[in-house]
Amino acid sequence: MSIIDDLRQSVIDGDMNIAQELVQRTLTENMPPEQILKDGLISAMAEVGRRFECGEFFVPEMLISARAMKSGLALLRPYLTATNVHAVGKVVIGTMQGDLHDIGKNLVGMMLEGAGFEVVDLGVDVSPDKYVVAIKEHRPDLVACSALITTTMPYMKNVILSLKDAGLRDRVKVIIGGAPVTEKYAADIGADGYAPDAASAALCAKELILKKG
Amino acid sequence: MTKREIIRMVLDGRKPPYVPWSCGFTKEAREKLQPYFAEVDLEVALQNHLLKLGSDVGFFTNLGNNRLQDVFGVVWDRSIDKDIGNVEGCMLSEPTLEHYTFPDPLDQRFFADIPKRIAKYGDRFRVFQIGFSLYERAWTLRGMQNLLMDFYDHPRFVQELFQTIADYNIAQLKEALKYDIDAVYFGDDWGQQHGLQMGPKLWRKFIYPVLERMYRAVHEGGRYIFIHSCGDVDELFDDLIAIGVNCFNPFQPEVMDVPTLLRKYRGRLIFHGGLSTQKILPYGTLEDVRAETLRLLEMGRAGGYIFAPAHDVEGDVSHENMLAFIELIQGQPGYCDN
Repeated sequence: MSIIDDLRQSVIDGDMNIAQELVQRTLTENMPPEQILKDGLISAMAEVGRRFECGEFFVPEMLISARAMKSGLALLRPYLTATNVHAVGKVVIGTMQGDLHDIGKNLVGMMLEGAGFEVVDLGVDVSPDKYVVAIKEHRPDLVACSALITTTMPYMKNVILSLKDAGLRDRVKVIIGGAPVTEKYAADIGADGYAPDAASAALCAKELILKKG
Repeated sequence: MTKREIIRMVLDGRKPPYVPWSCGFTKEAREKLQPYFAEVDLEVALQNHLLKLGSDVGFFTNLGNNRLQDVFGVVWDRSIDKDIGNVEGCMLSEPTLEHYTFPDPLDQRFFADIPKRIAKYGDRFRVFQIGFSLYERAWTLRGMQNLLMDFYDHPRFVQELFQTIADYNIAQLKEALKYDIDAVYFGDDWGQQHGLQMGPKLWRKFIYPVLERMYRAVHEGGRYIFIHSCGDVDELFDDLIAIGVNCFNPFQPEVMDVPTLLRKYRGRLIFHGGLSTQKILPYGTLEDVRAETLRLLEMGRAGGYIFAPAHDVEGDVSHENMLAFIELIQGQPGYCDN
């Protein structure tokens, strides 16, 4: 196996120490940072997502893989910046106003990062106004909204209405998800995408970015 | 027949004269519902067949500013979720129990009102509740993401933590078994909307052996076992039956096939729950609620079923929808309020 395959495997195995060591080695061997990112880290997280979707991986495996990926990415980031390698897109993510649940939102954030996105995490209990302020500040391509309970899900519609009112709706794609959320609800409120889990959220985000051009 | 006898009939695999029920409501939902029962306390008006004893979420010290501290020292923020709250901070910031002392499982607050409540609601089936009974207690102490990674990073710590939680629960339930109760009602959410949070492999390795030990203590006391576990967990039913579980709640129709499972497990496992709280109760019409309630009552007529909404009814449900299912369950032929 090549060193890049080993790096990919270490991320799938969730072995943070090996992943860091291998990123260092690839850099020492002057491998292009973009190749390390794409063939090592992003490719690994795509496989983690595939295994999660088919029920081979669960939340613990996803968490330790994401941690390994992030630790490798932290070492790689200065080299990516130096060689002008940009993120595939920027996402502002948060849990709806009135909702303090964060693990689902965190998993989506990790998978988005693992798919090459820059993620701005607004945390939990995020009001529509906070989204508007964050979008003006960070100028993301995508906005991701999470809700675990039926009482907070309606705020997703309010986020979309607030974006319209602020004249920002055409600038960003909106994806939504969470236990009570359905594809139909996403269509009803005018969201651009819906994902039932973290792995498919990353795929959905990539598709929307491609469409956005 | 008393409500207690009706529940026993269902648990023992016999056909009851009507489908019994035990419905829960969040604080906001109770406040919405109470005015429709005039002077009568909701606990009386609802005529639930289960009498809940002990405390599902434990006891709290009010720290002010909507923050409460449970007996384990964990601080809960109730500014939004008024019933349970959300954990603030992390009690076990390191994967060790070295500097942590578990609370007293025999804290008298868990048992103080048992005689009085049994005297008042003696006709009901008595369940002693142990909420957050293992995995949930562990993550409230350690943080959910930390604990999920600890399964791989610090497996011995997870085992020690789970066994210590089980020791605490066993001491508490043994004390409860000294009273004239019928069952222990454990609560521990393992599921997500799709599948288990930790997956079946880790569940069987870390959780199953500890459940087996806790449940054995209940069976040795000659009582029934109820377990509440939210989410898509039906893949565990055979394992749960193997270690003596008698009743499963909440039986969420959005994540499991309620009619198929009721038929498949009739005689081996009974179900408590079933009415959609993610879709029908908050978003359905009055007719939707009536139709779904009647469908569940029809399914449960042959036994093996205790009707309930699949979660405590939330405050976003209209009072009309709440009253609709209450009216139908209390109006069943064969039931008379005694």
